[in-house]
Amino acid sequence: MNAPAATAIALTALAALMSAAPAGAAETPRYVAERGIDHIYGGGWEFFVGGGVAAFDCDGDGREDVYLAGGTRPAGLYRNVSVTGGAIRFVPAADTGTALDQVLGAYPLDIDGDGILDLAVLRLGENVLLKGLGNCRFARANEEWGYQGGAAWTTAFAASWTKQAAWPRLFFGNYVDREAPGAPFGTCADNRLWLPRAEGGYGEARLLKPSYCTLSALFSDWNRNGEPDLRLANDRQYYRGGQEQLWRLAANGTPRLYGRREGWRKLTIWGMGIASHDVTGDGYPDYFLTSMGDNKLRVLLKGPGKPVFGDQAHKRGLTAHRPYSGGDILPSTAWHAEFSDVNNDGHADLFIAKGNVEAMKGFAARDPNNLLLGREDASFAEAGPDAGLVTYARARGASLTDFNLDGLPDLLVVNRKRPVEVWRNVGLGSAQRPVPMGNWLQLKLSQPGGNRNAIGAWIEVRIGTRTLTHEVTVGGGHAGGHHGWVHFGTGTAERARVRVRWPDGKWGPWVRLYTNQFARLVRGEAVAQPWLPPEGREPKS
Amino acid sequence: MKPTLPPAAVVAAALALIFSAPQVAAAADAGWGEERAMPPPISFADAARLSLAELAARGRRLFLAKFTAAEGAGRPGATGAIVPTKAEETGLPTFFRTAGPDSNACRGCHNDPEPGGAGDFVANAFVSEGFSDADFDTVDPQFSNERGTPALNGSGFVELLAREITAELRAQRRAAAAKARTSGRKLRIALSAKNISFGHLTLHPDGFMDVSELEGIDQDLVVRPFSQKGVFTSLRQFTINALNAHHGLQAVERFGARHTGSADFDKDGVSDEIGAGNITALVVFQALLPPPIAALPQDEAARAAAARGRALFSEIGCASCHMPALPLESAVFTEPGPYNPAGNLRRREVKAPLAFPLNAKGLARDEAGRILVPVFSDFKRHVIADANKPHFANELLAQRFVNRDVFLTARLWGVGDTAPYGHRGDLTTLRGAIMHHGGEAAAAQKAFEALEADDQRRIIAFLQSLKLAGAGGSP
Repeated sequence: MNAPAATAIALTALAALMSAAPAGAAETPRYVAERGIDHIYGGGWEFFVGGGVAAFDCDGDGREDVYLAGGTRPAGLYRNVSVTGGAIRFVPAADTGTALDQVLGAYPLDIDGDGILDLAVLRLGENVLLKGLGNCRFARANEEWGYQGGAAWTTAFAASWTKQAAWPRLFFGNYVDREAPGAPFGTCADNRLWLPRAEGGYGEARLLKPSYCTLSALFSDWNRNGEPDLRLANDRQYYRGGQEQLWRLAANGTPRLYGRREGWRKLTIWGMGIASHDVTGDGYPDYFLTSMGDNKLRVLLKGPGKPVFGDQAHKRGLTAHRPYSGGDILPSTAWHAEFSDVNNDGHADLFIAKGNVEAMKGFAARDPNNLLLGREDASFAEAGPDAGLVTYARARGASLTDFNLDGLPDLLVVNRKRPVEVWRNVGLGSAQRPVPMGNWLQLKLSQPGGNRNAIGAWIEVRIGTRTLTHEVTVGGGHAGGHHGWVHFGTGTAERARVRVRWPDGKWGPWVRLYTNQFARLVRGEAVAQPWLPPEGREPKS
Repeated sequence: MKPTLPPAAVVAAALALIFSAPQVAAAADAGWGEERAMPPPISFADAARLSLAELAARGRRLFLAKFTAAEGAGRPGATGAIVPTKAEETGLPTFFRTAGPDSNACRGCHNDPEPGGAGDFVANAFVSEGFSDADFDTVDPQFSNERGTPALNGSGFVELLAREITAELRAQRRAAAAKARTSGRKLRIALSAKNISFGHLTLHPDGFMDVSELEGIDQDLVVRPFSQKGVFTSLRQFTINALNAHHGLQAVERFGARHTGSADFDKDGVSDEIGAGNITALVVFQALLPPPIAALPQDEAARAAAARGRALFSEIGCASCHMPALPLESAVFTEPGPYNPAGNLRRREVKAPLAFPLNAKGLARDEAGRILVPVFSDFKRHVIADANKPHFANELLAQRFVNRDVFLTARLWGVGDTAPYGHRGDLTTLRGAIMHHGGEAAAAQKAFEALEADDQRRIIAFLQSLKLAGAGGSP
C-alpha cells in the first residue's frame, strides 16, 4: 500500500470514528445571525494574531457591552441595547475614551477596586490601562497607577489577586520582538508581571524569562491549593527551544517555572488560546489549548500533588483538528476557545473560533468555527452545522455571553477583515419564537476589599447528586475575556444549592436558589440577591 | 395561535363521561395476551385534537391503570428523585414502601371515596427529596418523610389560583423594579394578591432585590400549590414526579433522551415509557375533578351548629390562614401551564396550549363576577409547630428548601370526607388536628382551646360539612 492510500484510509477511519453517533447525543441550540456590528479587525501581519473582545457591563444596566479590538483601525466600544429575550442590538458608545488604535485585545477587570470595571488594553506598542469612570466612559490611567505600557507587541493578559492584596498582579504576554536580530524566529519578547504596591498602583515589572511568544495566559488554581499559578500558551511558530509553561509565583511575586522534576511534561504546540473547565469531573480544572491542527485538552493525571498533565482531546472528541465542512481537509487553525453550557443541559459545551492565519499554505482556508456539545459521559460532539453557525470568515476573538438575558448564551465573533458576527441563541425555536432549553442560573459574586468581584473564587452549584464548578478568572481565551454573569445550565433541576469558596480559601454557606434567574452572592450573606433584567420582563419559562 | 374553548355543554359531557366510566378500564388497546394497562402513546398535538371528553376519559383510564413492567413500571436503574438520578446497584426489590416504587396505580392511594380522592393511613407515601446520595437507595425510613395521601379534587382550580397569584405578585415586582430603576432609589413594597400578604420585597435601582422579608413563598415568587410542603408548581410537575417515584414510570419529557441522553434511563428495558399526550390526559383528568363544596347537614340543629361553627372559625383566627374563599378571575385551564421549569412540557414547546373551562357550577361569585373558590387556604407556607406543640414537626428531613416545621396551609375543602388528618395522616379526629397546631397558628389553637365545649363542637361540625361533593363525588 502506498503512503497516500494508507493516509486516506487512516483519515477515513478517523473521520468515521469522530462522526460516529455516540449514545446520548446532546440537544443542539439554534443560533440565528443578528444584524452584527459594523466593525472590522484588520491590519498587517502584526494583526494576524489578536482580534479580541472584552465583554462586560460598562453602563451598569446588567447587560454586557463589548469592546472590540480594531487592529490598525480604532477599537470600538459598543453598548448592548438588546431587548430582554429578544433581538440583540449593539450601538456605538460615544465619547468613551477608548478609541485607541493598534489594539489587539482587551480584558475587563476592576483594577483599582472602585466598583467600576476597568480595561487592560493590549496593543502593538504601548499597552494602556483604562480606568472605568462609569456609564461607559474611561480615562487612561497608566501614569496614575504607575504602569508603564512599554512598546512591545502584546498578545496575552491575565490577572489575579493574592490573598492580602487590594490590587491585582497583572501579567502581560508579549509576542515577537520585531527589532531583535534574526526576527521573527527565535526572538520572542520578554513577558512582564506587574506586582501591586501596598499603597496601590504598580512599581517595577518583573520579567518572566524565558518567554516563548505567548498568545494566551491564565491564572488558575490547577491543584486547588488556594494559590493560582500562571499557565501560558506559547506559539511554536516563533520560539526556539520553547514549550508551554506553568509558572509558580511565590507570595512575594518571585516567579519559578515548573519543570520535569516536578512532573511537568514538555508540550510544544502553536498555543493560541486557553479555555478552562473541569471536563473530567475530578474537581480540578482541565485546560483546552487551541493550536493549529493539534488542539489539546490537558487534564491532571496524577492528582493535585504534581502538575502532571496529559492529553484527552481525542478521548473526549475535542481534537477539532480539521474543518467539518467546506471541503477543506487541511488542518484547522484555532484561536479563541470558551466553555459555556449553550443548551443548558448541565454539561459544558465548547466554542472554538477558527480561521487561517491569513493565507497560510498547509492549513485550511475554509475553516468554520466549532460548537462542540458536551454530553453526560464528558465527551463532546460537533454541532456547528445543526446550530447554524457555519461561516468561513477568519475568526479570532469571541465571546459566549447571554447578551439578551434570556438564559441562553449568545455568541459574538470577531473576524479578521470581516465584520463582527453576532449570533442569538434561540434555543429550540426561531428568531420569531425562541424556545427555551434546560433550566439555568446566572451568578455574580461580591465581597469587600479590592478584589470585590472575587477573582480566584470557585463557585459550586449542586443539582441533584451532581456538582457543577466554575473558577472565576481573568485571562485566557484569545486576546479577550468576559466579566459579568457566570452562567450555569442546570438541565431539569428547578433549584440548586450554591456555595462559594472565596479567594482567601474560606467557604461560604450553601445558598438556596431557584433556577431560571439571575442572582448575586454576597460574602457573609446566606440569602442570595435575585436580579431582574432591565425591562423587568420575566425570562420565558 | 389562540386556544379555542369547548362550550360548557361539552365540558359537562366530559365530566359526565369521566364519572360514569367503568371503575376499571380494561387495556382495550392491548392485544390478547399482552399485559399493558396504559392506552397507546400519543403526542401532545394528538391529545389536543381529542375531544375533552375523550381526553379526560383517557386520563381517568391512566389514573386507574395498574401499570405493568411490560410498559415500563419499575426503575431498577434510577431513583425516585425529581431530577433524573441513577441508582446505585443496591439490589433492592422491585417494589418498596420507602424508596419506592410503592404503588401499582395512582388510585392505589388516591381512592377515598373514589379515584382522585384521599387515602387511608395504609396508603401513606414516603417522600425523600434531599438528594444526599443515600436518600434514594436505602430502605432506612430515616431517609424519608411519611405523608398521608391528599385528595386531588378541585386541583384545576387550585392550579389556576396559584397561577393568578404568581402573575399578580410578579407584576407588582416588575412595576416596582421599573420604578426603582427610574427613580434611582430603592423601593420596599408590600406584596399582596387576592388579599393574601406575602411580606415585603425591596428593589434596588440596579435591579437587585432583597428577598429576606418574603413570607410563605419562594424567592422566585412562584406559588407552588401541590404537595403538603407546597413544592410543586403544576399538576404536570406533580404527575411526572409521582409517576417516577411511586410507579417507576418515567415521563419522556423529563427522563427521555432529550434530557438524559437515553430513551431508557431507568434501564428496565422499556424506552419512552410515557409521553406528553398521556401525561396531558392525566393532568386533564385531575384538573377536572370537581371542587369540594360545603354540604350542610339536613338536620336543622346540626345545620345551625355548622353555620355557627363557620362564624367561630373566623372569629378565633383560623380563617386568617385557612381563608374560606379566594377569588378566581378565569376558570379557563390551559395546559401546559406558564411556570413549568424544564423537564415538564412548557408553553413555548407547543404550538398552542390546550385550553378548557373548569366546571364552576355551584361556586359563588363576587360582585365583580369572579368565582369564589372555597378552598380554605392562603396558598402560603407557615411554621406550624413549636416547642409546646411539636407534633407537626415530626418529619426527619426538610423537603426541597422547606424546613421541617413549615407546611403549606392545608386546603380544608373536603376535609369532612378526608380523614385521617395531618400531613402524616396520623390523627383520626379533626379536634386532634386542631389541637396540634402550634407556631404561627398557636394563637388560633389557644383560642379554640378556650372556647366552650359546644362551640368547639360547632367548629368541628362546620369542618365536617366540608365535603368532597360534586359530580361523581360524595353527596
